[in-house]
Amino acid sequence: MPTEPTTKRSWRIHATTGSPVVVTVFALLLGLMVGAVVIITTTPAVLDAWRGLFHSWSAPAHALNVTFDNVGAAYRAMFTGSIINPPQLWHSLVTGRGWTNSLTPLSETLTYATPLVIVSIGVGIAFQTGLFNIGANGQAVIGGIAGAAMGSMVHMPSVFHLPLSLLAGVAGGALCGAIPGLLKAYTGAHEVIVTLMFNYVTYAFLLFAVLSTPFQQPGQQNDIGRTMDSSAQLAPLFGAHSGLRVSYGIFVAAAVVLFAWWLLNRSSIGFDFRVTGANPAAARASGINAKTVIVLVFLISGGLAGLAGVVQVASTTHYVDGGFLIGNAGIGFTAITVALLGRNRPVGIVWASLLFAALGVGGRNMQSLTGIPLDLATVIQSAIVLFVATPLLVKEIFRLRGTTQGSLQLATKGWGS
Amino acid sequence: MRRIRRLVSVLGAGSLVLGAMTLSVAASSVSASAATKFKACVVTDTGGINDKSFNASAYQGLKDAAKVDSNISYTYLSSSSSTDYAPNINSFISQHCGIIVTVGFLMDAATAAAANAHPNQKFAIVDDAPAVKKGTHVLALQYETDQAGFLGGMLAAGMSKKGTVATYGGQNFSAVTLYMNGFVAGVRYYDKTYAKKVKVLGWTPAKGACSLASCKGSGTFVGNFTDQTAGQSDTTTFFSEGADIVFPVAGSVGLGSVAAAKQAGAGHYVMWVDSNGCVSDKADCKLFVGTVAKGVEASVKAAVLEAAKGTFKAGSYIGTLKNQGTALEYGGVKVPAKLKAEIAKAKAGIIAGKISVNPNKYPAR
Repeated sequence: MPTEPTTKRSWRIHATTGSPVVVTVFALLLGLMVGAVVIITTTPAVLDAWRGLFHSWSAPAHALNVTFDNVGAAYRAMFTGSIINPPQLWHSLVTGRGWTNSLTPLSETLTYATPLVIVSIGVGIAFQTGLFNIGANGQAVIGGIAGAAMGSMVHMPSVFHLPLSLLAGVAGGALCGAIPGLLKAYTGAHEVIVTLMFNYVTYAFLLFAVLSTPFQQPGQQNDIGRTMDSSAQLAPLFGAHSGLRVSYGIFVAAAVVLFAWWLLNRSSIGFDFRVTGANPAAARASGINAKTVIVLVFLISGGLAGLAGVVQVASTTHYVDGGFLIGNAGIGFTAITVALLGRNRPVGIVWASLLFAALGVGGRNMQSLTGIPLDLATVIQSAIVLFVATPLLVKEIFRLRGTTQGSLQLATKGWGS
Repeated sequence: MRRIRRLVSVLGAGSLVLGAMTLSVAASSVSASAATKFKACVVTDTGGINDKSFNASAYQGLKDAAKVDSNISYTYLSSSSSTDYAPNINSFISQHCGIIVTVGFLMDAATAAAANAHPNQKFAIVDDAPAVKKGTHVLALQYETDQAGFLGGMLAAGMSKKGTVATYGGQNFSAVTLYMNGFVAGVRYYDKTYAKKVKVLGWTPAKGACSLASCKGSGTFVGNFTDQTAGQSDTTTFFSEGADIVFPVAGSVGLGSVAAAKQAGAGHYVMWVDSNGCVSDKADCKLFVGTVAKGVEASVKAAVLEAAKGTFKAGSYIGTLKNQGTALEYGGVKVPAKLKAEIAKAKAGIIAGKISVNPNKYPAR
């Protein structure tokens, strides 16, 4: 075959140079290694084994054994808890029963990834335009409140109710994103400061909403909002009795991915966005209206964040409470790192979201089986992002050739503008 | 091409070996975890097991039970948001936990759903009473903290030199305001009974009596259970308004009050909440006049032990002064014997039902 040498060569170059995909995979490996070091240094059983290193001839082997056992158990629990548990799957295949248990890990990972994909794409679109939307979390909170309010306080058939609830979420998030966008476009207020501060405004509004009489759950004095009607909920994909939580929300996420791909790669607005992100001066010179672009980007980014908020509510708890998306649960903040990891491209973001969701879901399984705290998953996530953000370091460690920047530079340069 | 094929075959064989290894190892770990031990499991709220408040207390209850009965093993899962409640509970159900303890009213819906789907699974829920179907095994643990709060109010009123005491909360809902309401009632009762003129700041009860489900009124609230700086500034404001004893009902935010009391100098004290301040924050014991305690540990421990023994009874447990589900504990400040006697008398009165803990029964100052 005449084409063989070129394919072989390109394959090898692909694997040995620092292409973005390769760097990301190696960053994942390094992240898992950092996690292993944390497990080793914080697990008493492992430390005890190493402390007795010089007590007998077999001690070093024993210490290594204990180390591998503990690290292995942790990562095995993460894998079986987030993707598939082989013995359980085998059991289901042979007996045809227990499918709920076999599929729960994947279902959970998809459940957590769904809103994360949507909000991360919103953040990624803003990044591609050179704008930082740090307020995605607040926009998602407002979207969740708006969607839950539409889903619980208005009653109508499902055909209208579900789309209207989702639209209410989009509208809430877009409104919340439009304000910083307008401020940026017409007064020059820095969007990082404004969006960041808007998060606090939305938290205060959340507390006000869930404790206000019209929205508070009837008969409830605590900070819990009304439950959405079943006609407004995103139903579980395999039925309410399947025990699997993965919902029709994944189709919403898929639609968002398609929309974002079309917007960025096929539409003229998307072209304006990307040109503005790559070189604002050139964009202005070629007649792109910067103000329109800024406001539009914030409308879209905020709208997607709001959609993520309402998808989160409609597919899991069906109500918002005072802790909605606050603290560790703030998907709008996770979205920043996910967008970075996915290099701001829709498909990359899908993979990054799945990875983050799997680490979180698997982390829970690890915690319950081995007693290693869930925070380890966060450590691994952070380490991966750290390594992805420093491609030179990864290339140096693994002796990769070549230079690639990808769109990463684009995402990280907006601070000065 | 051949090379690629070779690579594929090597990869395939490798993955097969790996798969077989995980199969065997995972299988052995499954059989190991299916020991005969009774497993007690707690799903914590977003505070986690180190919140020095009710999550920590519930986990401590499990540990205490395991100390008594060596057949009990315990484990926990912390939730990072309300989205995690259901999968965390389900994960414990599939691990065959003998009893699952859930913490806080936010887990009401998730606990009820899991209990309805698994009627034979034993549950205990702290600070909440979910509506569940008949035949389920759910024990609701609740505490009438206004009774101990009443005694705390008497203690604060009796110890105040400046004639003003204060209280504030994390957020305005009944699990918090019940304490504050009892505290105000205690101060007013003390004023009326012993002809004193102690004022109380930070909580104005609404008309009518308080219950576990609803306790309305208005007052000072930090807005969360984590911001110690806000607790410190609220407390400093109270001190500048003439108060010398402050009762924070806001979990770890209360540490901000401790800092404020230190800053304000001698004569400024704090009334601690939930679990004895002289145990959870030993270093500052001399600043605590007392603790309005909630018996989460003891009641969770009892529920776990009963479940392990097979004598578990579903239903409702209400912690009161009588069954020591709530209590006033003295701190590192010396309290006159006369005041202690007055408080003991009031305690007997509340237990006998002769003294009301409703602040509206006593004139406000």
